[in-house]
Amino acid sequence: MGAAKKLSSVRRDWRERDVRVVLAALIVAVATVATIALFASQLQSTLISSASSFLAADRKLEAENGIPVPPEWREEAERRGLKTAEMIEFSTMVFGNDNFQLVAAKAVNDDYPLKGEVEYQLGEDAPRQVSARGPDRGNVWINPRLLRLLDVEIGGSLEIGNKALTVSGLLIREPDGGFSMAALAPRVMMHSDDVAATNVVQQGSRVEYSYLYAGEESDLNAFYRWLEPRLEPSHEWESIRDGEALSQSLLKAERFLLLGGSLAVLLAAVAVAVASRQYAMNQRDTVALLKTLGLSSHGIGQLYIGRLALWGLVGIVGGLLIALPIVWMLNSLVADLLERPVDFRLDILALTPALMTAVVSLFAFAYPPIRRLRNVPAMRVLRSQPGESGREAWLDIGIAVVAVFGLVWLYAREVSLVLALLGGLAALLGILMVLGWLMVIGLRRVSGGGNAWRLALVALYRHRRASLSQIAVFSMTLMLACTLVLVRSSLLDDWQAQLPEDTPNHFLINIAPDAVDDVEDFLQTRSLPLDTLYPMVRGRLTELNDQPVKETVSKDERVGALNRELNLTWMDQLPADNRVVDGEWFEEGQRSGVSVEAELAEKLGLKLGDKLGFTIGSDKVSAEITSIRTVQWDSMKPNFYMAFPPGGALDAMPATWITSFHLPAEQKSELNEFSRKFPTISVLEVDHIIERIRSIVQQVTQAIEAILVLILAAALVVMAAVVSATLQDRQREGALLRTLGGRQSLLVRSTMVEFALLGFFAGVLGVAAAEAAVWALQYRMFEGEFRWHWNVVLSIPLISAVLLSVFGRLQLRPVLEVSPMLLLRRLE
Amino acid sequence: MKDQTTTTSDIAGIMLKATNLSHRVDLADDTLTILQGVNLEIKRAESVAIVGRSGSGKTTLLGLLAGLDTPSEGSVELDGATISSLSEDDRARLRAQRVGFVFQSFQLLPALSAIENVMLPLELGGHENPEAKAKDLLVRVGLGERLHHTPRQLSGGEQQRVAIARAFAADPIVLFADEPTGNLDNHTGQAISDLLMALNREQGTTLVMVTHDEHLAARCKRQLHIEAGELSEPATQNAPQAESIA
Repeated sequence: MGAAKKLSSVRRDWRERDVRVVLAALIVAVATVATIALFASQLQSTLISSASSFLAADRKLEAENGIPVPPEWREEAERRGLKTAEMIEFSTMVFGNDNFQLVAAKAVNDDYPLKGEVEYQLGEDAPRQVSARGPDRGNVWINPRLLRLLDVEIGGSLEIGNKALTVSGLLIREPDGGFSMAALAPRVMMHSDDVAATNVVQQGSRVEYSYLYAGEESDLNAFYRWLEPRLEPSHEWESIRDGEALSQSLLKAERFLLLGGSLAVLLAAVAVAVASRQYAMNQRDTVALLKTLGLSSHGIGQLYIGRLALWGLVGIVGGLLIALPIVWMLNSLVADLLERPVDFRLDILALTPALMTAVVSLFAFAYPPIRRLRNVPAMRVLRSQPGESGREAWLDIGIAVVAVFGLVWLYAREVSLVLALLGGLAALLGILMVLGWLMVIGLRRVSGGGNAWRLALVALYRHRRASLSQIAVFSMTLMLACTLVLVRSSLLDDWQAQLPEDTPNHFLINIAPDAVDDVEDFLQTRSLPLDTLYPMVRGRLTELNDQPVKETVSKDERVGALNRELNLTWMDQLPADNRVVDGEWFEEGQRSGVSVEAELAEKLGLKLGDKLGFTIGSDKVSAEITSIRTVQWDSMKPNFYMAFPPGGALDAMPATWITSFHLPAEQKSELNEFSRKFPTISVLEVDHIIERIRSIVQQVTQAIEAILVLILAAALVVMAAVVSATLQDRQREGALLRTLGGRQSLLVRSTMVEFALLGFFAGVLGVAAAEAAVWALQYRMFEGEFRWHWNVVLSIPLISAVLLSVFGRLQLRPVLEVSPMLLLRRLE
Repeated sequence: MKDQTTTTSDIAGIMLKATNLSHRVDLADDTLTILQGVNLEIKRAESVAIVGRSGSGKTTLLGLLAGLDTPSEGSVELDGATISSLSEDDRARLRAQRVGFVFQSFQLLPALSAIENVMLPLELGGHENPEAKAKDLLVRVGLGERLHHTPRQLSGGEQQRVAIARAFAADPIVLFADEPTGNLDNHTGQAISDLLMALNREQGTTLVMVTHDEHLAARCKRQLHIEAGELSEPATQNAPQAESIA
């Protein structure tokens, strides 16, 4: 290998400490970002597929007019490579053992469901099983409640219209059941081939045909473009619904991970900047010599750019080697907790942010100081030159800031995140400038003496530029790490608060007005606390400002809420977990107006004062929007898009009541008695869904904590980089002080005090900036409430003071162990 | 080895010429004059020692003559090229082809072995077979057994031998030396100056040296004194080149 080439070999670089720090920072950054991005992309596709399973497909076409769609539509979909399935839903009476009951029948063909599974039992005490299809021909699976209502047994038979069918299983969960409260009557699931024989479905009967589609997103969209001109008003095209409790929880986790990744990017950038600046300072002699030996500035530039490229490569390869096994582990974790296999796909696109992190960190942070190496005068071989303090150009800082925040944006696609972090850092720098000014004013008059405190203060003042930049880096690092820890703990608190032990896990739907008191009595006597009862009226949003709503809202919106009946309610108190974001909640005695859920309002472009028209049965009701509120969809309590004031427009409409309550597992059998006593009331059991969310929250928390450790490791790398940057100077100073007769104990004490002061100031600043950032993030991103974290505010400055003073003491060790003479010579 | 150069030097005579050379450095609230109106001519294959007290400006003068820095005023000609008006890169190219250096603190790259340090200027100059030539030179300075040792594994004297081998590697026509024995004990310094002088004679190189070492200075053909930025040539010295005195 040629000597010049050898100058830029990785093995040689690895021997230099500053390069090791740069490489470590790069590897940690790439590993963190790649892990998070890959995991998040996996999580997202899992989310979509779990959301899809709430639809049992990727898309659903409903024909509410009771007429099947032309068979060509299915052929067209299949021609385009989509999978299809069909189902027919209708209300009917079933007979069994001389009892009869109104049920919600759902007839499915062999292909149902396209996504997700049907969960069933072969007996009340039998284990739950999952199936990728519905019951066979001649069989039905029924809601367990129906077993008691009809007094039939598994293996017995019931009649639907003219057809007798065998009860072969109990239907526990259908993938497209979700939290929809439309299923008011108990469910019977049958095969669609048996429908004709029942003679129940006739021309004009109230029946809904649904068609399910699954496939590639592009094929689905292409099919919809083909289909759209053929659709009639009674046809509804549904895509995946949002607002599902599970998705919401995972979405928060994903956002947290993205935040973590962004912070890892910032930390890595700081570490790379500090270490490469130090590296560049140490390379000046080499550059001067190479210039003296005749290498041109261009050649110097090439040499170092080549080296940067090499570092980038090492960072990327090393980072990926760490990330891939972690992602693989996290994925099997997700598969475990979803209780089904997750396709492990290596999303190459998701790797882009990781690659960009390496490239941008290197070129925005490492390149500027290294580029300035070209300007090192050759004369430096003879003596160091004036004007070489290595002061950064403001342009470089500007480019770096833009680059890193561009990177965070590219990565998290979250403007509020970028602004919160930028705001936090700006606040930090502002305070830092004030502090610097105070330091100059306050410390100027302190003069040295035999006192450790005085020596420390004098040292802080004499090195004020270095002290300030160290405080800047330490406080930035602390800010980023604190932000992450604070957001994590409040996120977890929120999660746990959101699903406390007594979270309602059963809904009672369809409570007739005259049964309300009886239901309350029934539950009260069994000491089952009841959440608020809400009246519920089903109606369709049909007009906006006196115009038909389907005309005023563009078709692209395809808002599900417009296509189906909404649950409308009236209430006087704003539910505790709702928050009015615009307008005013109903005043006492107010009779008019309506409060709209914020996401729906945003999608439909609704604003205060808009007039909404609803069709309820054959009646029309209208109201002006008086407030817009956010709703906690994952609260497991009844939530409503539209709320009216009591005594308002809804009062005259036929209402049923809805409520939720917590039923402990050991009291589950009370349900049987409840069902017997109130056969018309539907009980929606969500206890297993809550369990699932709990276990997901718990496991995702573990994943988050694993990643947190990775990020804190990045923070330590930064600290190490900064401390080691001053190592030589401090050791030389220490050796000189000892040579000049300084006592060891004085040297130790003053150094420890100096570092403790640095750590304390950095801690105060870092925590203040972190609180500012958390405040912004909490408000914008996680929709939680901001609380001061006094324990953190008070402890971090002390911890960082102690930590840094220990760091300082450790640095001093070589100075104390060998003779000053030897040390001075070694440091020459 | 340098027959051709020697022939031309007899015709052209002047290798290095400084005309009215001044150098000032701007400080925060003052301007410091380091060199003032220096005129100097050095002939081919001549050896010249610049002596003076610390801070007298001798290192600055050396840097300007070698084209490591540019003067505030005046000009420097090296082998007929006005280097003070060349760009930094052109000066670097010229140094790679015609100039060699020896420093007080050796200035070897710690990560490279002895032979790699010597190969470096040969590679930068696009030499055909740098390894063979580097090896040959190291053998000539007595380090044939230590080709692959890094500077850390060599004594001060050995490091300076490597530096001398490196200085002569690209067949320079001028060699600049800055206190070449300044970091060495008397005995080692003596050996190094013997080596330097011998190689210089052998290669027919022009030698410009800054030194405190009176013995070393005495071995040069001419001695120039510098004091407070002004150059003088002692009259007692056998100095045939009166025109070179400022």
